Order: sequence, then structure tokens, then C-alpha cells
Amino acid sequence: MGIEIKCFATLAPSLPDNAADYPAEPGETVRSLIAKLGIPEDDIALIFINSARAYLDSEIKDGDRIGLFPPVGGG
Amino acid sequence: MAESPDAAIRRLASQAPLPQGGQGLVLSPEAVAEIAAGTGLPGCGIEARALELDILPTRYLRNMHGITPGDQIRLLRGSVAQVGLGGLGGTLFEQLLRLGVGTLRVADGDSFEASNLNRQALCDMTTLGQSKAESAQRTAARVNPSATVDARHEFLTRDTLPGFLAGCDLAIDALGGLTHRLILQQCAAEAGIPLVTGALAGWTGYVGVVMPGQPGPAQFMGQDNGAEEALGCPAPSVNMVATLMAAEAVRILRGEPSPLAGGMILIDLKQLTFETVRL
Repeated sequence: MGIEIKCFATLAPSLPDNAADYPAEPGETVRSLIAKLGIPEDDIALIFINSARAYLDSEIKDGDRIGLFPPVGGG
Repeated sequence: MAESPDAAIRRLASQAPLPQGGQGLVLSPEAVAEIAAGTGLPGCGIEARALELDILPTRYLRNMHGITPGDQIRLLRGSVAQVGLGGLGGTLFEQLLRLGVGTLRVADGDSFEASNLNRQALCDMTTLGQSKAESAQRTAARVNPSATVDARHEFLTRDTLPGFLAGCDLAIDALGGLTHRLILQQCAAEAGIPLVTGALAGWTGYVGVVMPGQPGPAQFMGQDNGAEEALGCPAPSVNMVATLMAAEAVRILRGEPSPLAGGMILIDLKQLTFETVRL
């Protein structure tokens, strides 16, 4: 079982084809994950894992749902 | 001796069929305007008093009973301070007027330009070049003259926001861009009132409710402008976010806790997903 990744707005093009079942390495963190996805850390405003706020150093476990959200302020 | 507001309300009320069946006493918008002109009282106060007398203002018949008469009284006696009258702000303003929120204090220092036409409810070919505040004042007179509207043509600052928020029950962040959102969140917290906030870019958006002292989106979204510069602000996203903000505003004004307090709902209209996250 892998993890599920969701990238919002300007981050959507970085979503891998296997985002619904992405392989997570043992000891994977958000920081190591987004490095693999090629997303600069500064491009992310909000990270959440399983609907709770998370951070770059948060660990990722099999079955987690990861959301990555950029700065969004339009009205 | 001049007629009392209660006597005028009772005299001008009439029997009418009610949407849920049966007959009841109603008060037409024209009657509300007549009593307001005769007594010098705001229409929203007359409507709230009519509801206390079990007379339903016709204008709000179709709010019932999604909004109960008791809730409608709370809305009519409620006050909202809204910053921004652009995309989110225009739609929110119209919804708050139609909902019957009694007192609306709104501010925007901009005037309408052609690139606002894709989404801003108060912007049309007749209002191009007009100040957004003036347009709001005119819209209020057309849509719901019972509302007490104070529309200010100014960009609020750290110095002027506290006075703008003072005395209101709720603050609404309908700003465009990220630059001023954190200051507004801080000022709302200092004023001790809840803040309803929302923003969007392309087909993605979010809505949050920040109770005083709680974390809010402005703390981590930064103050440089965001993804909206690349992705734009199409009308369906704007109206979806504004609608969710209006629904939370009603919930707070009627005295219920918001499920979004301390969190935010993330909306993606491209993949059609809605997810509430805790902050």
C-alpha cells in the first residue's frame, strides 16, 4: 500500500501519475517527498496529512493522504 | 400624537398565504419603507420588531424556515464589518443584503475596471469607473433599503481597521491578494470578534473561520500575492467561496459554533473535492 497525494492550484502539474498509490520509502517525510516531486519548499503554504495540518518534517506512513497547498489569496 | 411603530406595523400588516401552508400576517417591503420614513427608524429594526409581533416581513418569507423567525431577528439586529467589495466582497454583500443582515459596514478603496467584469457582482457596464463603495451603497438601496449600510471608499490600514471593526459582531475578509489579510486577522482578534475568511485561485479555494486567538490561513499563506496571479479568478470559484463564507457568517450571527472554527475547507472544483482540515 502506498500513499495518496493531492496537489492544489499551481502545484497540480507536479502531481505524479501514480498519485493515488504512490510508494513511500521507510522514514519518508514531507520534505523528502516534495524533493522527489520536484516542488520547491517555498512554493508550499499549507501541508496536511489525513486532514490535519502537518509540516515539512512530518513523517509519512503507508496509507496516509497528503495534501499540498500553495499560497492562494485571490478574491 | 404620532403613531407608534408597533401600531403602524399592525395597521399595515395583511393576511397572506404562507409558503409552508396556511395563512399568516405579513408586512410588505413598501409598508416597511413607509414606517421607516414615518418613524425615522431603520427598516431592519422595523422588520425585527414585526417578527417579534409574529408578523413576517414578506421580503424574508422565503428565508423561512431555513432561517427561523428567531434567527432572522438575530440577523436583522446583527452587524458585519466586511473588508473588500471585489469578487468575494460583491457576492457576499448581495447575499448579506438578501439574507437581511441589518447593519453592513463595508470598505474598498478601488473603483471598477474592465478586468473585474468576469466575476465581480457589483461590476457591470454601468458601474465601470465607479467606486466600489458607491456601487455598494446604490446596490443596497436597490436590493434591500432596510439594511443600514455604511460603505467607505478607502483602503483600511493597521491604524484604521480597529475603528472600522469596533462594535460589529463579525468581521469578513473579502480582500483580494494576501498583503493585508494578516493585519485584518490580527485586528479582528484584538476586537474580540470572529473572522470569516476565504480566497481562491483558478478552480481552487478555501474558507476558514478564525475565532479570536485561533490560528488562521493568513498566518501561513504569506503576504506576497499567490497562485491567483497565474490561475485567475473565475466566477464559479469566486461565488462558491463567497457562498460558503456567507453561510458561515449566518451561522455565527445566529449564535452557532462554526465547524470551520480553527480549520478551513479546501475546495477543488476541477476534481470536485471538498476537504475540511484542522489547523
